[in-house]
Amino acid sequence: MDFDAIVIGGGHAGIEAAMALSRLQFRTLFITQSLDAIGRLSCNPAVGGLAKGNLVREIDALGGEMAHLIDKTMIQFRMLNKSKGPAVQAPRAQADKQQYSLLAKHTLESQKHLHLFQDTVTELLTNTTGTAATGVKTERGKKFCAKVVVVTTGTFMEGTIFIGPYSASSGRLGEPAAVGLGTHLRNLGFDVGRLKTGTPARVLRQSIDFNQTEEQAGDIVQLPFSFDYDAIDRPKVSCWITYTTANTHRIIRENISSSPLYSGKITGVGPRYCPSIEDKVMRFPDRERHQIFIEPEGLSTEEMYLNGISSSLPEEVQEQFLRSVPGLENIIITRPGYAVEYDYLNPVQLYPSLESKRLQNLFFAGQTNGTSGYEEAAAQGLMAGINASRKLMKKEPLVLSRTEAYIGVLIDDLVTLGTTEPYRLFTSRAEHRLSLRHDTAEMRLFEKAQDIGLKSKEAITRFQEKKQKIEEITELLQKRKVTRQDSERSQILEKHIGKQLAIVLRDPEITMETIAEIENSIAAVHPTLQKQIELDIKYEGYIKKQDEETQRVQRLERLSIPQEFDYDGIDGMSAESREKLKKILPVSVGQAARISGVRNSDISLIILYLTKKNKKT
Amino acid sequence: MKEAHISLHDPIAALATPLGTSALAVIRISGDTCIEKLDSLFVSKAKLSASLPNSIIHGIIYNPDTKEQIDEVMVAVFRRPKSYTGEDAAEISCHGSIACVAKILEILRSAGFRDAGPGEFTLRAFTNGKMDLTQAEAVNEIIHAQSDKARLLAFHRLSGKLSRAINTLKMKLVDILATIEIMIDYPDEEYEHQHIAIETLTDIEKRLSALADTFRIGKTFQEGAIMAIAGKTNAGKSTLFNLLVKEERSIVSEYHGTTRDFIEEKIAIGGIPIRLYDTAGFRTGTDKELHPVESEGIRRSENLISSADIILYLVDASEGMTPDDNLYLESHRDNPRIIPVWNKTDIQKSSAPDCFISMSCETQEGLHEIEKTVSTVLLGNTKDISETVMIDSQRQKEIIDAAFAAVAQAKKQLKAHASYDLIAFDIREAVNHLGMLTGEVTTSDILNTMFDNFCVGK
Repeated sequence: MDFDAIVIGGGHAGIEAAMALSRLQFRTLFITQSLDAIGRLSCNPAVGGLAKGNLVREIDALGGEMAHLIDKTMIQFRMLNKSKGPAVQAPRAQADKQQYSLLAKHTLESQKHLHLFQDTVTELLTNTTGTAATGVKTERGKKFCAKVVVVTTGTFMEGTIFIGPYSASSGRLGEPAAVGLGTHLRNLGFDVGRLKTGTPARVLRQSIDFNQTEEQAGDIVQLPFSFDYDAIDRPKVSCWITYTTANTHRIIRENISSSPLYSGKITGVGPRYCPSIEDKVMRFPDRERHQIFIEPEGLSTEEMYLNGISSSLPEEVQEQFLRSVPGLENIIITRPGYAVEYDYLNPVQLYPSLESKRLQNLFFAGQTNGTSGYEEAAAQGLMAGINASRKLMKKEPLVLSRTEAYIGVLIDDLVTLGTTEPYRLFTSRAEHRLSLRHDTAEMRLFEKAQDIGLKSKEAITRFQEKKQKIEEITELLQKRKVTRQDSERSQILEKHIGKQLAIVLRDPEITMETIAEIENSIAAVHPTLQKQIELDIKYEGYIKKQDEETQRVQRLERLSIPQEFDYDGIDGMSAESREKLKKILPVSVGQAARISGVRNSDISLIILYLTKKNKKT
Repeated sequence: MKEAHISLHDPIAALATPLGTSALAVIRISGDTCIEKLDSLFVSKAKLSASLPNSIIHGIIYNPDTKEQIDEVMVAVFRRPKSYTGEDAAEISCHGSIACVAKILEILRSAGFRDAGPGEFTLRAFTNGKMDLTQAEAVNEIIHAQSDKARLLAFHRLSGKLSRAINTLKMKLVDILATIEIMIDYPDEEYEHQHIAIETLTDIEKRLSALADTFRIGKTFQEGAIMAIAGKTNAGKSTLFNLLVKEERSIVSEYHGTTRDFIEEKIAIGGIPIRLYDTAGFRTGTDKELHPVESEGIRRSENLISSADIILYLVDASEGMTPDDNLYLESHRDNPRIIPVWNKTDIQKSSAPDCFISMSCETQEGLHEIEKTVSTVLLGNTKDISETVMIDSQRQKEIIDAAFAAVAQAKKQLKAHASYDLIAFDIREAVNHLGMLTGEVTTSDILNTMFDNFCVGK
């Protein structure tokens, strides 16, 4: 055997999968088409955002790499939704694209047990019975064998880009597609479909008149994504905002037939939550203007990214409509916007471990599974890497539930419901989002990563100290009561005299800052940790309300369904349910109950059969 | 996301015998900790949880909060798996009055029991392997009813009008939710600060509360009402009684105090089943000695009148208002259950005082108006019952009450400028509750609304 594991693809999913496997000391081969294109931010130059920021922090808590990469390359930091409630706040950072990519490459190169290799995979090797993956074959005819294979090919599998009448076989502008693998997977019997996404033009900074735009600066205090750091200090640059005009919309409407989206050239479904400017104009004709964010691509380049205005119109039309936007009248386009259509694997063909049902030892992660977004890709890459290693160790996979992590929501949605458009995570997809705050990711997930072996000694010590601190403070808050002297120091406490601090904190007007004024041992605690404890207390009531529901969900989650479960052998099950269950092969009754179109009576039947079986054994 | 609505172990309770007046009624309970939960409402020599399986314990059900004793009962205790459902279960034999059964069910609910859906005990028996597969097919229908209820709450049970009404409210809430979710998930965009109209929530709140009220109407039709005819002696109560009953049921004479005990008859007004009582007339006069039987009759009549849903208070027009009449009507001035009737207008042509219905038993003038007023008092100001959207089950009422509470909470939070994550939580809860009636709202429904209504995406 050449390697323990092979990871195909050098994007955000591939990085995490390869790092997890090699950190666990599995000899891992990392194959990508271009070693100079590792960890590219193909679209917007930013990491994080709503739900996505939570993902990055969860990845970090689980021993992944993305938080470190963005912490060391950010050029602007913002905590979003400061006014809309702590449970839905999330960190977002502008990244220096080149630095990010270089750092990713260097991180991989420095990693023990990891071998980087530049080539294009065209085929998977399987065992003689065709039931398990055993390696890969490349464009240059090389064969590599491994016990597990992780596929993270992003938009490159049979990728085609479109700019007006122009189209070419590419995964990104200027980079050739990975031709062959998608077709090969189809031949192996996988359900492979087409999706579409797009990106806006990049323009030259000097050609923008910033006087006509609004400045959007970052936060003064930059906070790290990674729980490994207490603070960070990075350069702070601004973004800028401008708007389309009626003229912009007229130009787009007049040229709509030359957009491959409207001429029928593109058949793949695009993301509704991130529509092209053509879609925005055509679907919302009443809107007078659309917002455009002008974001720097990095510190060492003059290229700027025009967020919110992705397009696949012909280049001259792109230039024409951009020049109708205030501040962009003399714009110089360095790279045009384009649409890309690519193969994706219907993710219901995967177990919640991200292993394929059709071929054992074969894992899929990232945009290949129909998602969009760097963070969604990285999260899957990490989980695929972890579970490939679990497989190598012959251990149970790590499957996170919807109640404990956004990653759980993401993967459960994918493997249970599948997707027909590029899938993006939203906080509203998480039923238990009040318990999934970004600042609690470490408390929720660290120990899982520790058990797996992805945490260093130093990190474990650090975590345990933090955890102990939280326990101490929580205990103190429960014991310590407000005294008259306290209220003399802080008047707002007067109505709370005699009450425990933990109860006092439930008052929306009281924050930990007030408490810190009267209690020195709390003032000594890091502000981030203070805030975390405060929020835990403030949300306690709501969380409890959720708990009953959570327990009910988890009871069904724990009822596991064996993979060889014979759905045909159940009398009285509806044909529709049977067909869906056989396709998705849920691992638990909980997952089965979430499949759309499966009747609850059929769920009861499954429970009946499962309990009968248990009784016999 | 779609939630699993099936819950297969939580404690449930339901009346196992038909609702009505009988010597005994049996309430069945089942589920995790159901026996321990019942213990907290039960006084007896032996604890139920310490008793042997299949034993019967005598004791008293009481309200642990008020210490009020509710009924003397026998409880049959079953332990899993040897019970009908295969879970811990019990059967409470209590006295068979509707009021008593209702009280026990209510106290069970407050102790953490949920009303069982139709067939739910059977469903549990089935899923716990208490029935073999040959029985399964027969049970399947019940399970289907159950699952439809859990998922779509049996569309066939919901009238089209009701499901439309609830859907409309649900979609209004989904719109609000989508607006909040857009603000949360797209913080930098132009929709960052949307206005959430408190009036919309108030309107939804009102409609939900009106809908919940219709349960009373439904119940009135099902269970009927008690109506008493009251008034001074010889005001013509028995004549009116006979007129309403449409037969000579009550003895009529010109003598005061002819009716000494109350007389009961079943009638229907506007489709509402009514138990009509003719009562002994009030007579406080000290001039004559009251017969002891008559004074006992008056006492019993007074009890009855105080518990009646509706009272026709008759005043003899030929005598006019007496001090007794004045006293009675004055002390019940704001009681909508009392309908004052100005009787014997055929003898005395004086016009009736305000708020009185003029009535002549001789010419039957005023009878129609009495009937109309009775049904208005019982049903509220619903113009035409056939046009009103009504709920008809306790479960529907509970769901609507829960949705109402969630909307009220959201409104309170909005007024208090609470953060959107909390307001969204409450609205989501309201949506989920209504979803239990007309089909659940999934995340993709909410996302659809978001992206149909708002143009976002950077």
